[in-house]
Amino acid sequence: MSHELSADIVVIGSGICGSLVAERLARTGASVLILEAGPRVTRNQLVLYYRNAPRKGDWMAPYPPSRWAPHPTYEADWGSATDQDKPNVARQGSNEKGNGYLVQAGPTPYPAEYIRVVGGTTWHWAAHMWRLLPNDFRIKTLYGVGKDWPVTYDELDPYYQEGEERTGVSGAPNTGSPRTKPFPMEPVAEPWAMRRFRERLEPGGYPVVANTTARNSRAYDGRPPCCGANNCQPICPVDAQYHGGLAAASAEAAGARLLANAVVYRIEHDPAGRIAAVHYFDPDRTSHRVTGKSFVLAANGIESPKLLLMSVSDKYPTGIANGSGMVGRNLMDHPSSSLTFDAEDELWLGRGPQSPASINTFRDGPFRSEYAAFRLDFTNISQVRSAAEDLITAGVYGPEFEKQLRYRAAHQCNVKNVPEVLPHPDNRVVLSDQKDELGLPKPQVHFALGDYLHRCMEVAKREYTRIAELMGGTNLRFTPEREYANNQHIMGTVSMGDDPKDSVVDGFGRAHDHENLFIAGTGIMPTGATVNPTLTALALAFRTADQIAKT
Amino acid sequence: MDEPNASLGGHDGPDPDRRGVLIGLTATYLFSYVPSAIAQPADAGARDAFMAVAQILTGRPSLDADQASRLYEALIADAPGFAADVQALRSFMDQRKIDPIQLQSTLDAEQSPLAAMPRNIVKAWYTGIVGEAERARCVTFETSLMHVAVADRLNPPSYCYGSYGSWMDQPA
Repeated sequence: MSHELSADIVVIGSGICGSLVAERLARTGASVLILEAGPRVTRNQLVLYYRNAPRKGDWMAPYPPSRWAPHPTYEADWGSATDQDKPNVARQGSNEKGNGYLVQAGPTPYPAEYIRVVGGTTWHWAAHMWRLLPNDFRIKTLYGVGKDWPVTYDELDPYYQEGEERTGVSGAPNTGSPRTKPFPMEPVAEPWAMRRFRERLEPGGYPVVANTTARNSRAYDGRPPCCGANNCQPICPVDAQYHGGLAAASAEAAGARLLANAVVYRIEHDPAGRIAAVHYFDPDRTSHRVTGKSFVLAANGIESPKLLLMSVSDKYPTGIANGSGMVGRNLMDHPSSSLTFDAEDELWLGRGPQSPASINTFRDGPFRSEYAAFRLDFTNISQVRSAAEDLITAGVYGPEFEKQLRYRAAHQCNVKNVPEVLPHPDNRVVLSDQKDELGLPKPQVHFALGDYLHRCMEVAKREYTRIAELMGGTNLRFTPEREYANNQHIMGTVSMGDDPKDSVVDGFGRAHDHENLFIAGTGIMPTGATVNPTLTALALAFRTADQIAKT
Repeated sequence: MDEPNASLGGHDGPDPDRRGVLIGLTATYLFSYVPSAIAQPADAGARDAFMAVAQILTGRPSLDADQASRLYEALIADAPGFAADVQALRSFMDQRKIDPIQLQSTLDAEQSPLAAMPRNIVKAWYTGIVGEAERARCVTFETSLMHVAVADRLNPPSYCYGSYGSWMDQPA
């Protein structure tokens, strides 16, 4: 046991939610300590890694996991872009596809991706910062499915606004989420390809709307507007989009102390059930104890429940905050189907940001009692690499290669859906019996998708087909039936609710079982809705921070 | 976030600076150039064959010599038999005069031991990647032919397209 640390508020996890809660509380004069399991990274390093990575389509390739705080990978190990980093990068065996960190119990694969570094997973994202729809908070009452939230849209509105202003959100007002104040910024300039979608689909009854994103349409908060590098994932080269690295830096600037490479492995309570301390390992597996008055767990939808489940004691034999038995349960994400086709027009995807526009028509309606609501999302990711790889696979050589490459790069496009998955207690994160390099249990996921989602996918397929027709599309390629791409929106595993028997935290993010333990992040969302969850998690986190400041 | 510690740092606190990264990169570049500068005469036939085959397979009569050297070295490092195989492929293509669009199906139909060669060569030139799975290495990026082929319309990802909003215009 080495030296002991202490702070008024101890935050576990330095992603957007943890860091911005830390910043907000540090500004009240509280002493704040952030414990982050992963290492520090910089934007320049990540751009370098991207350009040197052998798998440009694998957005995790620039983020090799560290030895002491691994995150899941699903591809072969290419090592490291620099000799300097090699000793710190966790290696996996030859011929292994992925490091096996997230153990899959099935029946449906759930290959979740997240990043354990200072700043967390939003180093790498499309920067979507949507508000939910007011009805998303009441689907049990309105449609008889899922759960109602212990918070209303109106209660969250000021915190949504705060999140939008803090991170710099640009957006259009016509997405179905009412506002009391305007967006901080106008929508980002519309790429030519999205204009053609809008112009050709509108007469067919599909309004195409600019996405709500934490991406600058003008200089904002010391960062430049988007320059169209089309690399939002895996890394924006100019910080035109907000990310957790910026959040962590601002927390430190506000006076919070941030310890990287501090892998919290146990939460300790006192006889009364209050949280007294947390324990972390450094990379050499030396243990340290950190005491505090309040604790905020913001380690993401898989690592947060993992840590709670690991923290067993005689008083809490199933783990901290788990009196309901709901810790780790109700795992949700947004599994996508999609259609790739060749549009009639030359679109040349790849000019401007990667994910600029959506159709919001199917996000709500009485049909939600029968099948999942969804958003339709158009990619603007350059098709050059995927087209080249497809031509190589097909064995096309000679002058025909470039001719076809240019045709595909100009015409190939894709529409996908982002559907709501209902919470189900059998979809869950548990502790596996496998251990990581520090000897800590790897998380294991149990996941299945039901007919509520499959029926939605049938509807979405009809909409894709109609969209392709309106675009003069040819060469339609649907994703295989019941094979969905994951969107890495890990939700529900430490769900909020009014009933301590059926939820982990209350409407303010406070653990039902421990009055000085709060949880932040997408894991506390009771339902998943049809949009990327980061802004909702952040708004809830700000509401939690308000509550902590009052106590 | 432009902190000086541009590494996947082992411990919190001051990390080795960016210079280390740059030195590492420079060393990588030097390493890849040195063999071409001191090319063994025994290699000359294989290098010629690589260039000749690549010109046909890529449909580009003019290919950059330095890029050729770097790709060749990487292909040799990935598969020691590459030098002999590329010369055999050149002979096969010279003798049979097969249209490149028919080449792969011909090699596949004849179950040729050279069947994997054209893909590896075209992949190297167009995507800049040599090797599979954990042996895969990125040899070129900005000058990979897939980016060169569309340079009048698109930049390689991670390079700015232009000033704010320039992507609103019809590509021309």
